[in-house]
Amino acid sequence: MSWLRQHAVLVTTAGLLLISLTLLMVNTRGQRRVDPLGVIFLETVTPVASLSGAMTRRLGQAWSSYVDLVGVREEREWLRDRVRTLEREVDASQQVRRENERLTALLDLREELGGMPVAARVTGIGASPLFHTATLDRGTSQGITEGMAVLARAGVVGRVVAASPNASRVLLLEDPASGVDAIVQRSRARGILEGGSGGRFHLKYIKPDEELRIGDTVVTSGFDQIFPRGIALGEIVALRSAPDGLFQTAEVLPAVDFGKLAEVLVLDAPKRDDVPVTGED
Amino acid sequence: MRAALILALCGILAVVTQTTLLGRLGILPAPPNLILILSVYIGLRLPTSWGAIGAFLLGYLLDTVSGSVPGLNCFTMTLVFAMVYFVSGRLWMQNPFTRFAIMILACVLEITTLATYFTMTGSMGTAGGGVLRTLMIEAALALLIAPLAFSILDFYIPAIARKKIHATE
Repeated sequence: MSWLRQHAVLVTTAGLLLISLTLLMVNTRGQRRVDPLGVIFLETVTPVASLSGAMTRRLGQAWSSYVDLVGVREEREWLRDRVRTLEREVDASQQVRRENERLTALLDLREELGGMPVAARVTGIGASPLFHTATLDRGTSQGITEGMAVLARAGVVGRVVAASPNASRVLLLEDPASGVDAIVQRSRARGILEGGSGGRFHLKYIKPDEELRIGDTVVTSGFDQIFPRGIALGEIVALRSAPDGLFQTAEVLPAVDFGKLAEVLVLDAPKRDDVPVTGED
Repeated sequence: MRAALILALCGILAVVTQTTLLGRLGILPAPPNLILILSVYIGLRLPTSWGAIGAFLLGYLLDTVSGSVPGLNCFTMTLVFAMVYFVSGRLWMQNPFTRFAIMILACVLEITTLATYFTMTGSMGTAGGGVLRTLMIEAALALLIAPLAFSILDFYIPAIARKKIHATE
């Protein structure tokens, strides 16, 4: 008895090992599950397991939401960057497309004009309201000299008033000091187109018997030996008779938008053969 | 009595954590074997007949909740208790390093016992290396958190109970 008491732990452990081994063997070999304490343990653990399960679910959901939120935030930043990049690309693409359209139009004009016009880019528009000038990125090195005509696809821009090796200055047609020999396309009425204030040209010195209408197109006559004939100058928007009754005057809306000039053609004075005879179409 | 209650509560929480909680969270490849830690702790701190019964019941609880063959874990945990009891009776086991060393031994014993059973029943062959790998991960994780778990248990087991335990050593 005292031996048993002295080795109680050993005896108990051996007994428990024997019980568990028997249980294991029975459950491994047998068809039926022998689990005497299983029901009690299951009943004890189930409430705790349910509670912890609910807590875990909540925790899992919260974690998933957090992870999703982090993902969404990262994705949003990525998408914002992507949108910015694409917007830049679209802007650049549109700019290239517009430039391409302008250059194509300019090329068409160049082919129409013949000869060897020099294509130039407008690098600046004069800021002074008194002098309307523009600067080009081509100069004498490219064959540009003073007095040459400057044209855009829409019509006459002006003429070169100063040229350096790699730049030139253009007196725009809207400057009051500018003047072009012009004719009304429909009636062939001849006059002098001068620059003016308020973005309007003045077609002066038209004979009083000439018939003018609002909406008539005014083009270059070619008689001034600077501009080729038939280049658009603008459209008549108002008519006025001089107080002395000697001449008519018309207000002309420019064909060229001088504020949006980008590329132009600079060409030499037309040859004598090109100068039209009065009344010629 | 209070120590026994705390250990019983720890056992329930450990088995629920091991079988339900960590599995649902899915943050670890396999849950740490917390019942093994408790069995080793009981072997160290409660080397009595009640301690042996405690280890047995913990193993049984694990069998019931995890759905394994009844008797498998309770045999393993009782064996672990016996090993710890034998070693602690011959060596000074209050040093953290020796406690960690005995935890390693317990892990080896647990893996060996379960692997032997699975080999004998042919489960190891059908499941491939998956069973052994899972057992090793469970044991390795248990080994990692054992020092912390021992410290927490030391803190919560009442001093009186510990004195009583020491007296029996």
